[in-house]
Amino acid sequence: MDHSTSSSRRASGDDLGVQGPDKTIVAPLPPSALTDIKNNVQLIERAVSTLEPRFTHRVLRSLTTLRKRLDATVLKDALEAAYPKDSPTRAALAAYLPTAAEGVGMDVDASSGLTSPEVDTYFCLLFILYLIDNKSLGNAIEIAHQTAEKIHTWNRRTLDSLASKIYFYLSRAHEIQGDASGIRPLLLAAQRTASLRQDDDSQAVLINLLLSNYLSYSLYSQADKLVSKTTFPTSAGNPQLARYLYYLGRIRAVQLSYTDAHTHLQQAIRRAPNAKLAPGFFQTVHKLFIVVELLMGDIPDRGLFRHPVLRKALVPYLRIVQAVRTGDLSQFQSALSSHVVQFTQDQTYKLILRLRHNVIKTGVRSLSLAYSLISLRDICVKLHLDSEEDAEYIVGKAVRDGVIEARVDHANGWMLSHVHRPEGAEGIYATSEPREVFTKRIGFCLDLHNESVKAMRYPLNAHRKELANAEAAREREKELAKEIVDGDLDDDGDGPGMSDF
Amino acid sequence: MAPHELATLYAQLKTEFSAVNPDLQKCGQLLSKLKVGLVQAGLFLPQGDTNLDDLIITREILEIGAFWSIRAKDVPSFDRYFSQLQTFYNDFSSILPPSPRQYPVQGLNLIRLLTQNRIADFHTTLESLPPDALSSNPFIIHPVNLERWLMEGSYSKVWSAREEAPAEEYKFFVDSLMGTIRNEIASCEETAYDSLPVSEAAALLFFKSSNDLIQFAHQRAWQVDLLNQTVLFVRKDEEKVAIPKQKMIVAALEYAKELEQIV
Repeated sequence: MDHSTSSSRRASGDDLGVQGPDKTIVAPLPPSALTDIKNNVQLIERAVSTLEPRFTHRVLRSLTTLRKRLDATVLKDALEAAYPKDSPTRAALAAYLPTAAEGVGMDVDASSGLTSPEVDTYFCLLFILYLIDNKSLGNAIEIAHQTAEKIHTWNRRTLDSLASKIYFYLSRAHEIQGDASGIRPLLLAAQRTASLRQDDDSQAVLINLLLSNYLSYSLYSQADKLVSKTTFPTSAGNPQLARYLYYLGRIRAVQLSYTDAHTHLQQAIRRAPNAKLAPGFFQTVHKLFIVVELLMGDIPDRGLFRHPVLRKALVPYLRIVQAVRTGDLSQFQSALSSHVVQFTQDQTYKLILRLRHNVIKTGVRSLSLAYSLISLRDICVKLHLDSEEDAEYIVGKAVRDGVIEARVDHANGWMLSHVHRPEGAEGIYATSEPREVFTKRIGFCLDLHNESVKAMRYPLNAHRKELANAEAAREREKELAKEIVDGDLDDDGDGPGMSDF
Repeated sequence: MAPHELATLYAQLKTEFSAVNPDLQKCGQLLSKLKVGLVQAGLFLPQGDTNLDDLIITREILEIGAFWSIRAKDVPSFDRYFSQLQTFYNDFSSILPPSPRQYPVQGLNLIRLLTQNRIADFHTTLESLPPDALSSNPFIIHPVNLERWLMEGSYSKVWSAREEAPAEEYKFFVDSLMGTIRNEIASCEETAYDSLPVSEAAALLFFKSSNDLIQFAHQRAWQVDLLNQTVLFVRKDEEKVAIPKQKMIVAALEYAKELEQIV
């Protein structure tokens, strides 16, 4: 390949020319990074000329692998390859590279002349990544802001997916620097523009950025308002959708709508990228998911805690689950206090605090199942409650909430569990519950089917070929018909001729 | 309104409000004058660069306003003052020194949400508070504990905690909170007991005399047997569930339609 040989030649040239720190970076450089960038630039140009966003998506997919191989030399060479010498963009971007890299690699490839805004943006993106990785956040933020402004003025649909990445790293850089609250107005403005321009990629990313921004500052009411005022674009990719669902789940959990939270988180888990590729997201969602499931009164599946990616991260949560399952208040307290730092870090501490009454409820339920008659005093001792009086109120509340079927005998201080339970083996089938569950499940299956039909991709213009085929077939048919007619005519023509003989 | 006028009004309000028996009406008048003054000075909804001392004074006026609304038993007005204070507590937290009244005001807001049974809002607000305030600040711990006891059903603890309010203003909410609790307990008793002696029922509902109880029992349509001095809880028979024809037909038609699309 022409590219690879030229770049390796230049790499060796750099080895000679560069002194000091850059030398160590250059040595392990695989020659393909530059080639990749060049290929990507071509892909982007093709995407622009064919108006096919697929190519841009392919370029962005390689971003993570490319990111690890970026360094000053690669970027410099790529810039030189893509831009003419007197291009202002080249000069502006080159200024961000360490000065040590300057003065080498003067043999400029013949550049393709004018570059499109898409390619400019792509280079800015690469530079932002490089600067973030090299801890030069100030510069990264500067480029990101400039690029975001330019994107705003360009207003090209082919830029959309690149723009969304720029916004993402702009916010990421601010987040690392710890001043993310300041960019909210900018993000909100960008979100408005994106939704006006029907720029789905940027819209999805920006909504997620805003939500994560709000949630990291615990501004749940603002986040909730944002969710209610915006619609998440349906065409957004799975990773963005998974993030959105996770944030939504978090908001709903805080607002005590656990059923909603549960559905959203479950969807987030299903949509999440592979557990091995993105273990962080997978673990975070599961942590919240477990807490929400407990708050709903369900016990999460034991198998979940054996998952190789989750096992270690979920140990504190396993202890909480065990405490809730057995209804042991003292075990719950000890688990809570020993892992308080972890829970605070996961932002689940306050949710777990709410579990206290679930623990008590489970305790009361297991007591009512095990004893047909038990004194309030014993309940108090077994559940580590403070007084008999409390026990009486708690049992009363449990009865009212339908947790247990029992009566309180105040005179004797007993709790009488009901022997005959209408909600027994066949009892529940006499209610409308099975029908509701059935409707829900069928509804889910039908949705899944419809979604997957919608998600199918048809190659563009494929039907044209079929049309052309059909056209050709019709043509042939016509010809055939004509031939037949002609033949008939001939026959007819022949007929009288023959008869002349 | 000139700045010095604003300053004198502010001083008047401060002295009046910190008096042993503040004249609430006068405070209210001062507050509404001050609000007009603040709007004119551009401090009511501060934007951009404003003088730090001005901001602190504005915050203090609003805080006094919040407390005043509670004392004047005007909850919607408290709501307004509180939303205005949010800006100072959240957005200006980095430049302003923390206010000593911040936690009392936020605690009051929490209690208000609790008495209005807005539990979801209660938790949303709670989530935005720093975790150490949750475990150490007496103004915040009070509403948090109340909520926890209410959820568990430890009503006697709520009852006994009503006198331990960390600030005078908290007591304003106690009465409405007690009303909520009584209704909660009453609905529990209806299902959990067959009958109760009148005196015991009064004790459970925190009534001082059995007359109060009998009145309350009439409200909830309980049967009181005066001879044996017992309250009888009549159980409503569970009505027989009719077959939900409408729903089933709709569901079946829906399935048929979807199936047709698939096949």
